[in-house]
Amino acid sequence: MQQFLDTTLGGLVLGAVYAAFALALCLIWRSTRIVNFAQAAMAMVTTYIALSLLNADVPYWLAFLAALAAGFGLGAVIERVIIRPVEGKAELNAVILTLGLFMVLHGLTAITFGVQHRGFPAPVSTNAISVGDTSIGITPFGILTIVVVALVMAGLVVLFRFTDLGLRMRAAAFNGEVSRLLGVRVGRMLTLGWALAAAVGAVAGMLIAGGDLVNPAFMDPFVIYGFIAAVLGGLDSPLGSVIGGLILGLSLSYVTGYVGEHLAPLVALGILMVVLLVRPSGLFSAAAARRV
Amino acid sequence: MFAVEDLSAAYGPVKALNGVTFTASRGQVTAVLGANGAGKTTLLRTVSGLVRSTRGTVKLDGKDITRTATEKLTSYGLSHVPEGRGVIAELTVVENLRLGGLHRATASEPMPIERIFELFPRLGERRDATAHQLSGGERQMLVIGRALMARPTVLLLDEPSLGLAPRVVAQIFDLLRGLVQSEELTVVLVEQNARSALSIADHGVVLNLGKVVASAPAAELAADEQLRHAYLGF
Repeated sequence: MQQFLDTTLGGLVLGAVYAAFALALCLIWRSTRIVNFAQAAMAMVTTYIALSLLNADVPYWLAFLAALAAGFGLGAVIERVIIRPVEGKAELNAVILTLGLFMVLHGLTAITFGVQHRGFPAPVSTNAISVGDTSIGITPFGILTIVVVALVMAGLVVLFRFTDLGLRMRAAAFNGEVSRLLGVRVGRMLTLGWALAAAVGAVAGMLIAGGDLVNPAFMDPFVIYGFIAAVLGGLDSPLGSVIGGLILGLSLSYVTGYVGEHLAPLVALGILMVVLLVRPSGLFSAAAARRV
Repeated sequence: MFAVEDLSAAYGPVKALNGVTFTASRGQVTAVLGANGAGKTTLLRTVSGLVRSTRGTVKLDGKDITRTATEKLTSYGLSHVPEGRGVIAELTVVENLRLGGLHRATASEPMPIERIFELFPRLGERRDATAHQLSGGERQMLVIGRALMARPTVLLLDEPSLGLAPRVVAQIFDLLRGLVQSEELTVVLVEQNARSALSIADHGVVLNLGKVVASAPAAELAADEQLRHAYLGF
């Protein structure tokens, strides 16, 4: 029972991080129909920026905000400068571009900051919480992770459901031409979509790095897990991405806890294959409804 | 007054519009007729800046809007209503309407959504439905209602009768006729269904292969048997 509780809590924390990452992929997919393989590298860069600030004794939450802002700016610049010229062309062009960008960002970070592992601080303890004399499988930082991801989701829900800006962004993503006829500045909305996604990615980066070691490759597994989570839930659906992230986090945690850590990547790929075979549009995609 | 002068456009080497000239007056419906491929839809797309013109001007109350960005036209009071498939299928009826009201003609009061529901009660009943769940007629009402949310002075309508049952077409055209009078709208109505269009239009312009071949009061066009047989198919 104790082990079940521990693996569940661990899975939820892991799932929250995958969910944040999947959400970033989903935001970009919805607005520009591009799977952004550079997402992890972008988040890695913003995390390094935060690390430099932390090493210069900037307070943690200020560095956190700086990472967010850096992600926002980086996302906007990448969309404007690199992605915009290939928008509306063959989708493969953009995908190859994001793969190239992934390598460039990797290289640049390694040159600038070095490839060695470096410790990354956490704002709260990363030791398991104890109740009486049994420790339970969650740390204060784990709780913080879940809270932050929940806040990000809530913020996005409010933005997309209840604000005019969110309505413009959704409209621009769904139907660019009609949106232009209605006065929406579609290009601007797409840039904003990338900026927001990169900011969400930056949050994920900070949560993954906290209390752990970082090097230029530390985010790489997450682009794969984030992608699987997003596909599982439906790349089109932000809610699906979140639920996909949680399902994946829990599954991998159970596999790690009861079977063995080495099987986790295999199970993740197995999930991806099953989803693509059985329900390629994902569990929560609206695509099925659209066929009616 | 909405005036198109000598407007030309091309898709690569193919001329789609060749020196089209006509005016549409306030409080009137001007029908643009012609067979499939005559350039009707291209005309609207060129006016809206979705297709780049190679020559000519478009004027709205004397102001040259030929090179105005598509996104700005609603704020000048010009709304282009794409045919019914132009609903944003993933958004609800209310969201589509809200979107229409976000970029209104400058200095106009916001249009209450309830007013659209008075005009199209059917939309009110389906306010929370996603647009892809709507029937063809409901979609057509939605794109027109959405355009009205921007409080336009000029309404460009692309084939509102496309794919609709005759009874629904009659209903939509009746509503349109009423709107033109109550809101003092200038309507440019592009239609393949010439007989229905002429029944509500004041003036008609006939296009063939990108050129204007006739421009006259609607009643006159409807009475010209030779023209009807040659270009209008009734």
